Amino acid sequence: MIQITDEILNKYLDGELNKEETEQVKSALRNSEELQRKFNALKLVHDKLSILKEDEVSAGFTEKLMKKIVIRKSAVPKQQKYFIASVATFITILCLVFFGFSISAIISTAPSSIGDSKSVFDSIPNLSDGLVKTLKQLFSGAGLSIIGSIFSIVVFISGYFFFEMQKRSKADLGNGQHL
Amino acid sequence: MRNISDQEIIDSVRKGNDSDYSIIVNRYKNKAFSMLKRMLKNEFDAEEVLQDCFLKAYNSLSSFKGESKFSTWFYRIVYNTALTRLSSQKRKTESEMTSVEDHFNLESEYRSDEIEREDVNQLIRKTISKLPERYSAIITMFYLSEMSIEEISEVTAMSISNVKVMLHRSRNSLRDLILKTRLIEELI
Repeated sequence: MIQITDEILNKYLDGELNKEETEQVKSALRNSEELQRKFNALKLVHDKLSILKEDEVSAGFTEKLMKKIVIRKSAVPKQQKYFIASVATFITILCLVFFGFSISAIISTAPSSIGDSKSVFDSIPNLSDGLVKTLKQLFSGAGLSIIGSIFSIVVFISGYFFFEMQKRSKADLGNGQHL
Repeated sequence: MRNISDQEIIDSVRKGNDSDYSIIVNRYKNKAFSMLKRMLKNEFDAEEVLQDCFLKAYNSLSSFKGESKFSTWFYRIVYNTALTRLSSQKRKTESEMTSVEDHFNLESEYRSDEIEREDVNQLIRKTISKLPERYSAIITMFYLSEMSIEEISEVTAMSISNVKVMLHRSRNSLRDLILKTRLIEELI
């Protein structure tokens, strides 16, 4: 004979007991008014909970939410566009500075007699020599340190944005990702 | 008209028909709101968190593999977001609520004369909100959202037996409370 506990009454209510146990509970309920009262109250709770009405969100909830979705959807590519544009601008400025610096270095090292008697083609070896000298200057000693520093900053900034994007997308995935 | 399945709606949203997501929102908003309202004990917070949950779900639709029902996946987001909100509000510490051995005394929430003259329906409705958040979430998922114990276990990341224990304990507390009302003899 099983002891009729609250747990057993709950299982009986949910139909989780086997045939033998069910019969025992039925018999105990027939013989005990107190147990019957307890079970009826439990069944009443179950019945009342079964017809529980849902609460309603405020009017216009769906519309507001859908508007937010549209705004966010257009905002994400914009952020990406800004990021790409800022990186591209930075690289372009860097290239222009490098190019301008090279040109000015070439002009300053080129012989002043270019326009006098020799043709432009004759001066090409001199110009290329100037460029090589400039590049050597740029990638040696202090120049290399400056370029290295600028490059590190670019990598660092890009890394930061990349990390932030990863973090945001991870947060967006929420907790239900594995399901 | 044929009732469109959640999966069909999700496939449509994934194809770019964003407006179809509103069908999902309308389908789940009130049930999820009821659960959040009972967990957070605050209507305003519940609506704010619900909006967050729908946005999270929308942004993560690509990661929904369909291995479980959409409702289970979505309720998991809702449940965990509510717990995160609660812990950030420091209303209750996480450790307080993790054990199923928690004790709560609903009767202490009412004065005895208050219980006696209360309408049973009203009393049950009010009392669910007074249950600890995990208990009220389980009751809402089981009765309002008609989820199985297995699904609730998946949502809450608790064992099936723990979910059952919490469900039974909630019912027993409500039963003990309504046994004290005057109307009970007429009702049972």
